[in-house]
Amino acid sequence: MKKTRYVPCVVMLVCLLAACTAKKHAVKLEYKDYEINKTYVPDTGVQQLLLPYRDSVNRAMGKTIGFTTKSLAKKMPESELGNFMADCMRVMASRRFNKTVDAGFVNYYGIRADLPEGNLVLGNIYMLMPFDNLIVLQQVKGNVLREFLNLVASKGGWPVSGIQMQITNKQAAGILVGNKPLDDNATYTIANSDYVANGGDEAQMLKPIPQETKGYLYRDALIEYIQELTRAGKPVSAVLENRVTYVN
Amino acid sequence: MLTDRREFLRKSMLAGGAVMASSMLPGFVHAATTHAVTILHTNDVHSRLDPFPMDGSKVQGQGGVAARASLIHDIRTKTSEVLLLDAGDIFQGTPYFNVYKGEPEIKAMSRMQYDAVTMGNHDFDAGLENFANQLRHASFPVLLCNYDFTQTPMEGKSQPYKVFKKGGVKIGVLGIGIELKGLVPDNLFGNTKYNDPVVAANATADLLKKKEGCDMVICLSHLGDKYEDNRLSDEILAKESYDIDLIIGGHTHRFFDVPRTYKNKRSSDVIVNQVGWAGLQLGRLDYVFSAEKNKNLVNANTVAIGKKPSD
Repeated sequence: MKKTRYVPCVVMLVCLLAACTAKKHAVKLEYKDYEINKTYVPDTGVQQLLLPYRDSVNRAMGKTIGFTTKSLAKKMPESELGNFMADCMRVMASRRFNKTVDAGFVNYYGIRADLPEGNLVLGNIYMLMPFDNLIVLQQVKGNVLREFLNLVASKGGWPVSGIQMQITNKQAAGILVGNKPLDDNATYTIANSDYVANGGDEAQMLKPIPQETKGYLYRDALIEYIQELTRAGKPVSAVLENRVTYVN
Repeated sequence: MLTDRREFLRKSMLAGGAVMASSMLPGFVHAATTHAVTILHTNDVHSRLDPFPMDGSKVQGQGGVAARASLIHDIRTKTSEVLLLDAGDIFQGTPYFNVYKGEPEIKAMSRMQYDAVTMGNHDFDAGLENFANQLRHASFPVLLCNYDFTQTPMEGKSQPYKVFKKGGVKIGVLGIGIELKGLVPDNLFGNTKYNDPVVAANATADLLKKKEGCDMVICLSHLGDKYEDNRLSDEILAKESYDIDLIIGGHTHRFFDVPRTYKNKRSSDVIVNQVGWAGLQLGRLDYVFSAEKNKNLVNANTVAIGKKPSD
């Protein structure tokens, strides 16, 4: 007898629960993309928050880390700036991975600025190499290295270190690795940016080859390399030594 | 004793019923009550805290976190039901990141009251331990349902989804990350296990709709909108999904002119949107929900899309 008193309550509860779970459905959507620009007065709270970081970043980017005795610009097939950067790639890779590195490369289009004459600040290196490319090592067969150098030749010649070659009809010829003729059956350790090793700039032949990485940014390597020269009282420089030449 | 217990139960049921009845009353009175929710979103901001420098480039003076914060504040003063989301790659791209490893980025986002974010591949760039450490400054959760962070510094620091209640609408937000192998150096993602995004997103969305009773499911994705080859993308995920209503994408830095609409496995609309990169834009999606009974909706839901008139 008592039980029946609860029935209306239970029915009511069930109905209410059903109503609660009745789904709402998206029926209409209006979209808008706001361009963030100067029409929005900068939020003072956020400005305040950023201020100390901005000041210190600007100070850090303005920090002098080295010097040149003349301005350095990239050029094909070979340039002092390119040789400097490729040497840094090979030398710093060898040190960080604690291995002999036969050759180092820099993709020409990844060099984004010249270095001015005189003092170099950190910001110059960020402009030179804005990308966060990592240095990676790959063990490649001589025939794959030849294929890669043919690509380098077809593009007009990239900065190289540990390599000497001629470009004839957009093909690599007379290739020397560490002053010895390239052996198609030998295995070489090469240093590249992860961008190139991942097949960037049409370097497809490198893509399937396993990479060794230490999360070491090429830009950081450049900075460390330059700072070492500075400590030794030396400028950022390199000489042209016919690493890559055009031969018709 | 027994009577007391029954009496207690009866009273609490009535009380509970009364509360629910009052809260549901508007719904009963107006059968076609609508609910509005505003979704604001960014992706691939890449440490662009300052506006682009005045160097003659096309985007000079654009972007900047302080201007974005001011815009978001303006919108919040006019619309209370706002969900602010980011689809990853918060980090990397300016010296701020090189120096501070993401601290000002996370602090600024907390100040803007972001509700949730997912991780992009570049958020691993200073290592997982760094990302986990920077989350000390975060007032928002990191959502990921397809990365298993067991035995990594991120273990227990992300969650697969979060449910929000906005304007009477229950919204489930989940996060999806891109395959890390080949994209992020092995030593940076460490023991992170990558699980199939489609499987994980569908399972999580199913849970959100069925168990959590969500009215809408949003997927924050760092897969990329679409590719020339058959790589997994938001487009593929949208078509392979069952319960996702909206995908806020990233990774491909695409500026969409119009949000894209796909049909999911149930022939319902899935919207995909992305707003380029560098904090140059803030995306806004004003949704209107209807509680109107419609039997067909279970199988197929269509959303009418239009450009928001300027306000």
